[in-house]
Amino acid sequence: MNTWRPTPSLVRACLLALVGIAGGVVAGLDVLVVLAAPFVVLGVMGLLGRPRHVPEVRTLIDHHRLHEGQGTASRLDITDLAGVEHVTRVAAPAPHVATRPTYGAAGSLVADGLPILEFSPRRWGRRVIGAERVALTSTWAGWRCGPADMPEHGLSVLPQSTPYDSRAEVPQPDGLVGRHRSRRIGSGTEFEGIRPFATGDRLKRINWPVSLRTGELHVITTRAEQDAGVWLVVDGLRDIGVSGGIDGAASTLDLTVRAAAALAEHHVRTGDRVGLLVIASDGARVRLGAGARHLHRLQGTLARVRTESRSVPPDRLDLGAGAGSVVYVLSPMLFTPLVTATASLQRSGASVVVIDTLGERAGSTDRLALSTLAARMQQVERDDRLQQLAALGCPVVPWRGPGTLDTVLHQLARRAQVPKVRAR
Amino acid sequence: MTSSVSRHLPPGLTLPSLALRALLLVLPCAALALALPERPHVVVVVLVVLCSALWARVPDHLAGAVSLALVVAWWTVHDVLDWRILVVGVLLLAAHVVATLLSYGPDALAVDPRLARLWLARGLLALVPLPVTWLALRGLDADLAPPWLWMTAAVATGLLLAVTSRLMQAEGHDGLLSDVGRAARTSGPGAQ
Repeated sequence: MNTWRPTPSLVRACLLALVGIAGGVVAGLDVLVVLAAPFVVLGVMGLLGRPRHVPEVRTLIDHHRLHEGQGTASRLDITDLAGVEHVTRVAAPAPHVATRPTYGAAGSLVADGLPILEFSPRRWGRRVIGAERVALTSTWAGWRCGPADMPEHGLSVLPQSTPYDSRAEVPQPDGLVGRHRSRRIGSGTEFEGIRPFATGDRLKRINWPVSLRTGELHVITTRAEQDAGVWLVVDGLRDIGVSGGIDGAASTLDLTVRAAAALAEHHVRTGDRVGLLVIASDGARVRLGAGARHLHRLQGTLARVRTESRSVPPDRLDLGAGAGSVVYVLSPMLFTPLVTATASLQRSGASVVVIDTLGERAGSTDRLALSTLAARMQQVERDDRLQQLAALGCPVVPWRGPGTLDTVLHQLARRAQVPKVRAR
Repeated sequence: MTSSVSRHLPPGLTLPSLALRALLLVLPCAALALALPERPHVVVVVLVVLCSALWARVPDHLAGAVSLALVVAWWTVHDVLDWRILVVGVLLLAAHVVATLLSYGPDALAVDPRLARLWLARGLLALVPLPVTWLALRGLDADLAPPWLWMTAAVATGLLLAVTSRLMQAEGHDGLLSDVGRAARTSGPGAQ
């Protein structure tokens, strides 16, 4: 925004008015005077409407951190609106960002308020919005300032927390406090049974009805409640499929990241400690932690996951996870080294659950096409790997949202109570 | 029907915008067609149609001025000062106003009804000198008029326009500033 320039409309009106007046007065052309008369009015009014100052324009967005599907508004801040009658703004299209108005063009009279553009990111990740051009028009459309390019704003889009809930307890809780029932008896509130009184029992634990009926003192025993360490391993090595955002089809990375976000939110709300390991070219690791701030940190890390073709799968998953930890490996399991690393983690004593995030993929209709054959071969190899993994005792479940892990966690909890030999 | 039309439109172009563009093509041609049964030269017709089509495609294009100038030139050359000149004047002014309305933004910018109403009022205001000038020129015998009359008429017209515009400008500024103050209060981030 550096100057006011005459609009094509003003130039057209002035040309017709000047030619008409000059032709009429000089050459005595009556018709020319009649036809030019209305343009004299428009030309004069447009010329006189030139604003005296060049305003400064900047854009502000209401939010810098959103969940996918949420929306924010971009507003204009203009220093001096004297003489400005109309404001037009046109936003550049951004991938995975919906705009209202649909094509990003908004305009309004200043008297009606400055135009507002609304943006809604449709996919998690780092998005850029607000790259737009703004033009100001004076009264009678005589002068125009701009269009000026406005700087863009970065937006951190957190994955949508798909509705997820689980009634299953983690197999081997090992923390101090929490909502999971401990395997050991302690001073909790979860009823475990009634037994005869023994030396050291607290008097408040005596169950008087049973004691009176049997003639001997009996006490109620309860289980302590503990939290658990939960590790989320996110496979960001490849992204299979085309992402349509939250409104369309999900790619494998979409499924992975959204499932990880849902699990993280569920376990943090349950009171568990949650850690995150991102396997990608620029991998990230978030240590075990709990609380709302830690959840934001996890979601922010997930929003930064990016795939690159040069990413290589790791040979081992070094989590430092204890025997009581639960490890969720969220992956389409397309790489043998990652499968091997998962099997090693399983052998080390952690409760490992593989969540298959390949999802339903519609193949080509031509079964003999090269791409279809390649996809089928890869599918066969992948199924073989998953079967081997399951044979090692590592459950593999496809992500289906709420209740995905209930059955598996119940089975792991039962298995955890069975004595076993640990391989080192 | 509507959906099939929309499929062939450029992205974001709405039907009202399309209708205005069609008007932009038709109005200069209609202004020239008023000459019928007298036929304008084919070159003039082709040029007016082509320039109007280009104008309808790009409302900011110089072709608009060329199209209007061609029509004005044809009527001036034929020196017809009957009722048709009034209609031609209205058509040309309407084309100019429509082009102005479309030039506020790109194709995807929807036509603002308030802005359209504002320009309708302005167009009507701009039409006021048309019948006045026409009546004056019809009733005036240029040969009998004293030589100072033209200069006096020109100066008087200029003064009237300047005074009128000055008055309207002052009124507009006051109204605009109060509206801006209200808009700033209501559209600020903290207003919600």
